[in-house]
Amino acid sequence: MRKADKAPEVKRLESPQAGRFERIVLPHLGAAFTLAMYLTRNTADAEDAVQEAVLRAVRYFPTLRDDDARAWFLTIVRRVCFTAYGTDHRGADVISIDAAGPQLVDDREQPDAATSRLQVQQRVRDAIDQLPPLLREAIVLRELQDCSYTEIAAVTQVPVGTVMSRLSRARTRLAGLLQDVVDFGDVA
Amino acid sequence: MSELPDLHKAMAEALPVYEAPASLQAWAREEAKRADQEASPHHTFSAPSRARVWGLYQWRAAAGFLLAAVLGWGAASVRPGNGAAAAASATTNQLVDAHVRSLLPNHLLDVVSTDRHTVKPWFAGKTDIAPPVVDLVDKGFPLLGGRLDYVDGHSAAVLIYGRRLHTINVFVWRTTTAEPRDGSFEVRGHSLLHWTNGGLSYWAVSDAAPPELEAFREAYMQ
Repeated sequence: MRKADKAPEVKRLESPQAGRFERIVLPHLGAAFTLAMYLTRNTADAEDAVQEAVLRAVRYFPTLRDDDARAWFLTIVRRVCFTAYGTDHRGADVISIDAAGPQLVDDREQPDAATSRLQVQQRVRDAIDQLPPLLREAIVLRELQDCSYTEIAAVTQVPVGTVMSRLSRARTRLAGLLQDVVDFGDVA
Repeated sequence: MSELPDLHKAMAEALPVYEAPASLQAWAREEAKRADQEASPHHTFSAPSRARVWGLYQWRAAAGFLLAAVLGWGAASVRPGNGAAAAASATTNQLVDAHVRSLLPNHLLDVVSTDRHTVKPWFAGKTDIAPPVVDLVDKGFPLLGGRLDYVDGHSAAVLIYGRRLHTINVFVWRTTTAEPRDGSFEVRGHSLLHWTNGGLSYWAVSDAAPPELEAFREAYMQ
């Protein structure tokens, strides 16, 4: 909340302060790349998406008000991912046969706790991977990037209620796959 | 039951939070500096960045290696399960990146020709690698042209062949000691086939099925 930025109409006519974009947007490059990785699931596309997002962010930077630069930047990233890089946001609710099949791992009989932990991690990754993109996006933003409901709503440009419903659907699906290894509280 | 982690903890343990690749960070910093410098009331920010064009080639090569090696989201499917798997996955990831990049508009060919007599002399003027250039149109692999590329620390001559609707990029460079062994690989839904012959290392990369690449190699090496 710097004084100079108080009046948006005036701000746009003034030269932005030196180093402003670098200071305000660049710290979120890692978060942007992480989101892009989980949306595109592909390193090359994630890099391209973030690069494109930076170029767009530079262009639209004058429209950024004093609100959350992270949410603003992530909004651009996910839009690039969904439009330019073919992430299908309609989210085909198809689960591959491999994924839907019963888990043939009996955790009680794992000889080695470390092996079992790696297997659990792999199962968590697989389960996240199988979520439809909109649900995956919501749960990644929430649990991995520690965004608030309000921030997720800002990034994905839907009402908070929709965010909560997506998170709940994501948790329900994950609970179906991971119930034996993750504590879902009363969601499951 | 009580010792099960909650979802937050389970995800934090299982899922990587990524860092942007160093080269991407460096590019973004330059871009930010440029933007901040050029920022002025009447500036439209619309000039395309020259750094971007340069950057595309520069950082992709390095970034593929860094991420693939450390995290390997898609690298788990690299087949040879020996100690060289990590090195192999770095190479194969970069090859797939280069292949995918080549499919972007206007990136595929430096010399467009279905005539091997055009493609081969073109290479001769640009590189000391002289891969055999054969047209295999009668075997179902029409020669589309050639390109120079830089992959995994090698200058590579690239031959481009078609296979029905698929494109096969054949990367050729001088064999080095640190090569993954010959064989087929699969990375992010792309097939790779590696073989060496006469001091040259060949990598065929395509989204066509692995047997198609085998068929290609047989046709090409005859």
